[in-house]
Amino acid sequence: MSQLTSEHIDYIIKDLNYRGIVAEGVQEELIDHICSAVEEEMAKEKRFIDAYHSVLKSFGHTAGLQETQKKIIEVENTKAKIMLRNYFTIAIRNLTKHRFYTFINIMGLAVGIASCLVIVLFVLSELGYDKHHINANRIYRINGEIKFGGNHYQLAVAPAPLGETLLQDFPEVETAVRFRSRGSYLVKPSETADNIKEDNVIWADSTFFKIFTVPVLQGDAGSALKEPATLAVSRKIANKFFPDGNALGQTLIMDNRWPMKVTAVFEDMPESGHFKFDILISMAGLEEAKSTNFLSNNFQTYILLKEGTDANALEKKLPGIVLKHVGPQAAQILGGEFTMEKFEASGNKLAYTLMPLLSIHLHSDLTGEFRPNGDITYVYLFSAIALLILIIACINFMNLSTARSSNRAKEVGVRKVMGSLRSHLIRQFLTESVLLSLFSFLLALVLAYIFVPVFNDLAQKTLELPLSDPKFYGIVFMGSLGVGIMAGLYPSLFLSAFKPVNVLKGHVALGMKSGLIRSGLVVFQFVISIFLIIGTITVNQQLNYIQNKKIGFEKDQVLIVHDAYALKDKTQIFKEEVSKNSFIQSGTISGFLPVNGWRSDNTYWPEGGQPTQENMVGMQNWTVDYDYAKTFGMNMKIGRFFSEEFLSDSTAVVMNEAAIKQFNFEEDPLGKKVSTFTGNNPDGSPDMNSIKSWTVVGVVENFHFESLKQNVTPLAFFLEKNNGSVAFRFEAKNTQDVITAVEKTWKNLAPGQPFQYSFLDEDFANLYSTEQRLGKTFAVFAGLAILIACLGLFGLTAFTAEQRTKEIGIRKVLGASVSGIVFMLSKDFGKLVLLAFVLATPFAWWSVNIWLEDYQYKVEIGWWVYALSGVVAFLIAWLTMSYQSIKAATSNPVKSLRSE
Amino acid sequence: MYGYEITQRVKELSGGRLLLTEGALYPTLHKLESEGLLKTDTIMLGKRVRKYYTLTTAGGKISYERVTEFVDFIKTMSSVLQVQIA
Repeated sequence: MSQLTSEHIDYIIKDLNYRGIVAEGVQEELIDHICSAVEEEMAKEKRFIDAYHSVLKSFGHTAGLQETQKKIIEVENTKAKIMLRNYFTIAIRNLTKHRFYTFINIMGLAVGIASCLVIVLFVLSELGYDKHHINANRIYRINGEIKFGGNHYQLAVAPAPLGETLLQDFPEVETAVRFRSRGSYLVKPSETADNIKEDNVIWADSTFFKIFTVPVLQGDAGSALKEPATLAVSRKIANKFFPDGNALGQTLIMDNRWPMKVTAVFEDMPESGHFKFDILISMAGLEEAKSTNFLSNNFQTYILLKEGTDANALEKKLPGIVLKHVGPQAAQILGGEFTMEKFEASGNKLAYTLMPLLSIHLHSDLTGEFRPNGDITYVYLFSAIALLILIIACINFMNLSTARSSNRAKEVGVRKVMGSLRSHLIRQFLTESVLLSLFSFLLALVLAYIFVPVFNDLAQKTLELPLSDPKFYGIVFMGSLGVGIMAGLYPSLFLSAFKPVNVLKGHVALGMKSGLIRSGLVVFQFVISIFLIIGTITVNQQLNYIQNKKIGFEKDQVLIVHDAYALKDKTQIFKEEVSKNSFIQSGTISGFLPVNGWRSDNTYWPEGGQPTQENMVGMQNWTVDYDYAKTFGMNMKIGRFFSEEFLSDSTAVVMNEAAIKQFNFEEDPLGKKVSTFTGNNPDGSPDMNSIKSWTVVGVVENFHFESLKQNVTPLAFFLEKNNGSVAFRFEAKNTQDVITAVEKTWKNLAPGQPFQYSFLDEDFANLYSTEQRLGKTFAVFAGLAILIACLGLFGLTAFTAEQRTKEIGIRKVLGASVSGIVFMLSKDFGKLVLLAFVLATPFAWWSVNIWLEDYQYKVEIGWWVYALSGVVAFLIAWLTMSYQSIKAATSNPVKSLRSE
Repeated sequence: MYGYEITQRVKELSGGRLLLTEGALYPTLHKLESEGLLKTDTIMLGKRVRKYYTLTTAGGKISYERVTEFVDFIKTMSSVLQVQIA
């Protein structure tokens, strides 16, 4: 076969080009095809030009060639991939062209989404408490409510025999478990080892493992905890005390006195439970647990209901239990005339209710909780904040997109003229916004990853991003698509609706004029921001107020040494030894502290009378020594505190003002006497022969020993030894020296026992840690919301200034001053912020009052808080705008007017 | 095989009775390529560029199915129409 010469090939290439065969990928292929065909024709002794034309003819000449080319291109373009790629390319080009707006959009959304993500994690973890128990839906705790003797108790604890009684009386109860908390224990694995203090120790019935899902790693769940003096420990504890891994069957010595055998090792309980125990002690060894006394409530009691039981129906039967068991015992003490009917008729109450296990964490804040629970209010509050932040971020996005629409109006016009359908444009704009949102989500993931530890620190949680969970990525991806479409829908519908004729003629004037929706959105953003500022100030004001309020004792410069019982009989020596240091002013031995100490209450009545419902007063009874009031800086209102000069003080009592009021002793309290039972009969009921009386020798000013959310309740001091802890008031001096000195004495007197101490003021601050965390978290998220809103405002002003460049130029030429122009540009947005302030204030005022209702002692939120918030919001907004405005106002008019 | 070769081969196999037009051939080839049934190798021949088409694994499978289908169809038709196919 003859080969074509180079000239022939050139000729063919040129000719085909001339005939319009130019498409990449088509051209070369057709050239080769035609060349091959021509060679074959020439082999039939034809001249080149004749051969070429006969080949062309078989293609159908120019028209045929072009038809082929068109068909090939069509085939390739129908592929959706290419269409998408086209949208994608244009989107990327547009975004990189307007880097400034893209940056603002992405940053705003990313910060919004990251905060949202963190909050969602928080909310999910709060909602997920106790879900790991397989029977969670059938487990209920018995709550008690007692209203008697001027006191109102909401209890998470029940009488010792109640669990067993329910089990016997109601067939629908499958099994029951009781817990008894006795505080922390000092634990050591052998006589010679050092003690370690363990906080999460609880006495529990052996049915624990039947009701709660806690995997037992070693030992038998069925037989563990059945015998007295046995215990079950968590894996953590087992590894701590028995690193060889053979904890089963070993002995742990509790509080230096009680050796107990390990009968099971269980998996560490998860953080997401309303209890987390490390050591369970068998209830079989607790005398108190065998009591039949229905009148003292000390046991957290949980029941497991049989499948398909209606808990409400069971709850309705509980008053029957009260009548049958509690009533008779109460009658025994209060005299024969007592009946439950009379009891209730005089406004008292004794009721038991069932609380579902799954609601405990978020809905329960009763006396006797294992540890502080969460609060559903915060879940709602944070969800609301997350939503608000996300809305602000989305609004920014929509605002910037529609604002820029006038710049893109021409683009839309040209596209439509070229044959674009509305659906194409919508798709185009949606691609852009989805792309933006994808970027934002990626950035948000990074931000969230960085800030989750910060949030954990702030909120005292252990959240983490579920980075190994494919579902998480799925949700994030779907979320970004969703947000992208939501935020892009309005702009894309808005833009694609332009009429090409109007747009190209320049009739679409979009600035602030058509921005009614846009202005509305800006106002909305600032309403939220101002609301959050007011909220933040209020929360922090209230916290300050509480912490600086007169609390009735001096909380500064007091060191508390805990677990003083480890000193055994040397507590007094310890106190005296430490007091020899010149910087110690005084010391006192007592486990009852104004903050976080022991609590004990009992009922008393004025001496002489019979105990009746009317005259009994529930009162804290704290056993203290002579130096208690001096050490804690409490003031005597009338009379004196206990003193060594009076031998009779062992039968003396010092009460607070609230107690005096409750007893109606206000006239002349000194010398009055109160009585109570001091012993129980063998069946647990109070022994009528054990009544003892005390004489009032002094009245101490009310001091706060519970949260300031509550009123001060009646309290009495008795002179009695109690070696729970030792407190020292020290002179202002280097606190480290004080600690060192006290610790040295401790080490001498109690070798091998852990030295635990704290400062009273710190303990006091910890009481309000929830509020403090709330305050800080609130501030952070309010800051974020404002930041995002300002980013949007920044973008919007930048845009308006850009749009009005020519106008500004002309104004300047005509003699406008810089300040005049800055004012003109800021005026529009300033009005919006002002309007937002007017709208936000009543709403904030209302919410703040609702929140403060919870507090017995609340701060006055003055008008200045609102004014300040408004001014702050306005200043921030103005600062944001001023940068752009000043830039626009100081630019040289020649530059903006030269080009047209 | 490259485009021209395919037309020549078809012509040869059909004894000159089937003529593939270029206007039908190239769009089809490009379509099959974008669907992933064909792959191409490009070879430079001086100023000319030649594109060779080969079946991919997926393409081979599909073509086998289609040919079997077609043979079945012919068989069915021949029995329906009562004609013998040589």
